[in-house]
Amino acid sequence: MPSSVVRSTFDRSVPVWITTAVTLVLLMILPLGWLAWVSVSSEQGTTFANYVQVFGDPHLQKALWNTIVLAFWVGAASLAVGVPMAWLTGRTDLPGKRLIRALIMASFVTPPFLGAFAWVMLAGPNAGLLNKVYRGLTASDEPLMNIFTMSGLVFVVTLYSFPYVYIMIVNTLELIASDLEEAGAILGASRLRVALTITLPLALPAIISGFILAVLQALALFGSPAILALPAGFHTITTQIWTFFQYPPKVEQAAAFSIPLLLATALLLQLQKRLLGRRGYAGVGGKTGARRPIPLGRWRWAALAGVFAVLACTIVLPYAILAKAAFAKAWAQPLSWDNLTLANFTFTFFEYSATRDAIINTLELGIVTATVGAVMAALLAYVTNRRLVPGHQALGFLAVAPVVIPGVVLAVGLFIAYTRPPLVLYGTLAILFVAYLTKELPVGYAQADTTFKGVHPELEEAGRILGAGRLRVLREITAPLARSGIIATWCFVFIGVIRELSASIILFTPATKVISVVIFDLKEEGQFAAISVLGLFMLAMTFGIVLLMQTALGRDFLGAKD
Amino acid sequence: MPGVTLRGLTKRYGGVAAVDNLLLEVKPRELVALLGPSGCGKTTTLRLVAGFLTPEAGEIWVGERCLSSATAVVPPERRRMAMIFQSYALWPHLTVAQNVGYGLRFKRGMTRTDRDRRVSEMLRVVQLDGFQARYPSQLSGGQQQRVAVARALVVEPEILLLDEPLSNLDANLREEMRFEIRRLHETFGITTLYVTHDQAEAMVISDRIAVLDRGRVAQVGSAEEIFQQPRTRFVADFIGRTNLVDAVAATPDAVTRGALRLRVASADLTPGARVSVSIRPHEIAFATSTEGHAGDNVVSGRVRRVSYLGDAVDYQVELADSDVVLRVAAAPVLRLRAGEAVRLTIPPSACVPLPE
Repeated sequence: MPSSVVRSTFDRSVPVWITTAVTLVLLMILPLGWLAWVSVSSEQGTTFANYVQVFGDPHLQKALWNTIVLAFWVGAASLAVGVPMAWLTGRTDLPGKRLIRALIMASFVTPPFLGAFAWVMLAGPNAGLLNKVYRGLTASDEPLMNIFTMSGLVFVVTLYSFPYVYIMIVNTLELIASDLEEAGAILGASRLRVALTITLPLALPAIISGFILAVLQALALFGSPAILALPAGFHTITTQIWTFFQYPPKVEQAAAFSIPLLLATALLLQLQKRLLGRRGYAGVGGKTGARRPIPLGRWRWAALAGVFAVLACTIVLPYAILAKAAFAKAWAQPLSWDNLTLANFTFTFFEYSATRDAIINTLELGIVTATVGAVMAALLAYVTNRRLVPGHQALGFLAVAPVVIPGVVLAVGLFIAYTRPPLVLYGTLAILFVAYLTKELPVGYAQADTTFKGVHPELEEAGRILGAGRLRVLREITAPLARSGIIATWCFVFIGVIRELSASIILFTPATKVISVVIFDLKEEGQFAAISVLGLFMLAMTFGIVLLMQTALGRDFLGAKD
Repeated sequence: MPGVTLRGLTKRYGGVAAVDNLLLEVKPRELVALLGPSGCGKTTTLRLVAGFLTPEAGEIWVGERCLSSATAVVPPERRRMAMIFQSYALWPHLTVAQNVGYGLRFKRGMTRTDRDRRVSEMLRVVQLDGFQARYPSQLSGGQQQRVAVARALVVEPEILLLDEPLSNLDANLREEMRFEIRRLHETFGITTLYVTHDQAEAMVISDRIAVLDRGRVAQVGSAEEIFQQPRTRFVADFIGRTNLVDAVAATPDAVTRGALRLRVASADLTPGARVSVSIRPHEIAFATSTEGHAGDNVVSGRVRRVSYLGDAVDYQVELADSDVVLRVAAAPVLRLRAGEAVRLTIPPSACVPLPE
C-alpha cells in the first residue's frame, strides 16, 4: 500500500486574491472611480462642464502654469545640485563623505513644509533673519532675498527634492565599474573626456529619471507652495485643489482639476520606468571592480565648501532657526540668556489642547498604519517573490500602483468616496488611515520586496526537505531572516505617515487633526514658537526611527554599506 | 535502502517541456549523476524528485512508495530525502550545530542528547569537530560545503539529492571534494541523485551517468560505456572530445564520405543510410610504417596545426582528397610539424556509428 497524501483540491490562491482585491478596491479603485465619476457629473447628468469651467478659468490656468514652471525649475535645479554632489561623494577623494551622506539623508527625511516654514523665518522680506543680517551689514533697505516669490519657492522645494536625484545617481555610479572608465583612459581619453563620453552617458538614464522624480515631487507638493506661494498671491494645482474645499466646497471642480495631475504623474512615472528598464545596456550590474577615487587636487576644498553651502541651506540654517524659535521667547530677537525659555515646550505639549491631541492622533495613526502596512507589504512581497499564486506579477504591480496618485488627488477621491454610504469614514481617523496606507504601500512593498529577494528560496527548501512544513519554515527560517527588513519597512511607513500633509489637509476634521495639519494651522495664527517645537519633535521622532532602521539593516538607508 | 524510479516525468514551463516524458531507474545504494548542459532539465528533474515542483505528468516512486502521481503528491517534508544545494543554503541565523541538527528535530523519539551526539558524530565525519558554535559566515567555502553535507547525511535520508554542490568551490578544492563525496557515498550507501554539468565530476563520483538532452535521458550507463559507446551524436559530442564525421553507410560495417572509406564497429548498418561516426582523438594513431594492425582503417593526410599541451600534442590533420579534418591526440615523444604528410591508422572498433 503506497503511503501518499492526496493533493489538496483547495486552491490557496483564492483567499489571497479575494483579500487583495477587496483591499485594493477600498484603497484605490473606489476613490479613483468616484473621482473620475464626480469630475464628469452634474445635476443634469454626465457632462464635461466641470472641465470646461475649470480649464477656462484664467485664474486656474495661471495655477496650472505656475505648477509647470515650478516643477520644471525644481527638476533642473535638483539636477544642478544633485549630480555634482553625487559625483563628488561617489567618485572623488572629497573629504568628509560620511558626514555629507548623513546630512543629505537628513535633507531627504526632513518634511519639506518644515523646511519651507524655517525659510520663512530665515528669508522673509522683513523679519527674515538673513535679510536682517544683510541689511545690518550693508545698510541697504532692500532685502537680500524674498522667499515669498516663485524663485524663493523653487529654491526651497529644490532643497528637499535634490536628494532624489542624488540617490538615483550615486547608486548608479556605484554600479559603473572603474574598468569601464579606465578602458577609456587607456585608449587615450583625458579625464574630462572620460567623464563626458563614458560616465555621463552611462549615468544618463539615472539622471533623467532623477529629474523626473524631482519634478513629480514638486508637482505633488502641497505644504511648501501653501506656505510660500499663497502669501505671495499665487496658486499651484495643489493649493488650488485645497481652496476648492474651503467653504462652500466645490468638489466637482476639485475632481476635474485633479485628473490632469493624476495623468501627468502616471505618464512621468511610466517614462521613468522605461528609462530605468533599459539601463541593462549601461553594463551596470556587470562584475564591478574596485573603484579608485578620482583625486580632486587643489579643487578639493573648494568643492567641499560648495557642498557644505548647499547643506547649510537644507539642514544647518533651517534646523538652527527652528531650534532658536523653539527655545526663545521671541524668535526674531537675538539669542541671549534673557531670551531663552522652555515655556514654548510646556505650552505646546501640555497646555495647548490642539497640539496635544494632534500628537496623540499622529502617533496612533503612525503606529497602526506602519503595522498594518508592514504586514500587508510583507505578505504581498512574499507571495509575489515565491510565486505562490497564479498572477503574482499582477499583485506586485497593484501594490506599487498607488505611487502614481499625488496625496491631494488621493484625498479628493477618498473624500468623495467616504462621505457617502455604504462607508462613511469622513470625520474619523479611519479615512486618514486609508489615505496613509494607500500612499505608503508602494514604499513599504518595495522595501519588503528587497527583503525577500535577499532570502534565497533554497534556504526555505533546505528546511522543507529535512522535514519542516511550510508554516514551520516560514516561522523558523524565513521570519528570522526577513525580520530586520520588515522592521525597516515599518520604519519607512511610519516616517511617511508622521510627515504627511497634502492628503491630511483635505481629510482632517477638528477632531482628527494631526501634527502636520496643526503646524499649518498655527502658521495662520503666527504661532512660530509652537510650530518650531512641533517641528523639532517631528524631526526627533523621524531621526529616532531612522537610527532604529539603520541598526536593523546594518547600513544607511540610502543603500550604502558602511 | 530503496531505489528511485521516474516514469514518464513531465514538467512544462509555458508550453515548453523542461522535462519531457523522462524515464530513469536508480537502483538501491546507487549514485547516478544527471549530466547535461544548462537547460537540459537536470535541475528541474531533481526539484521534481524533491517535491519543490509538481510535475504535469508521470510518477515518482521510492521503493514501494509513490511520491508523486496524477492523483497524489507528497510534500517535500514527508519524502524522507535530504538535499545539498548549489548555494549550500546554510541558515545564516543558526550555528553550525543548529544547522546540522535541524532535520533531527523532526525524528520521532529522539532526545536532545541523542541529537547532540549525532550532530557531533557527523561533524567528526566531515572533519568539522569543534565548529559547533560557529556561524556559517565564519566558515570558509569548503567548510560551509561540509556543513551542508553533514546536515543532509545526519538525518539518514532514504534518498540524497545533490544540485551542483561543488560549483562554488575553487578548482583544487573541487577535485578533493569529489573524492570526499564518493568516499561518503561508499560509507553510507545512500541512494543518490547528483546533478552536474561537469563530466569529469560525474565520472569520478557516480556509479552510472544519465546524460540528459532537452528534458529526456539520452543515455544511461557507466562512465566507460558512455564514453566508449555513445548512442547519440549529442552524447558523443558532450562527453569528451571527439571527431564527428557525417557519412553514408556503404555496407553493414563500413561508411563512406567522398573518397574516405571507414570500417566501423557495428555490422548492422543499412546501406545508403546517413550515419555520423564518432572517433576519439586518442584512438587515432600515426602510422610509422606502411603496415598497421590488420583490418585497421588507414588514411593519409597532411598536418595543418600543432598544439603542444604538455602531456599530449594535439594535431589537426587534413585528410587527402577530402574535406574532413581530424583531431589526433598523440604522446609528445612524437613531434610532427605543420605541413608534414602523414598516414593515420584508425581501428574499426574506434569508429562508433551514431544514428542521426
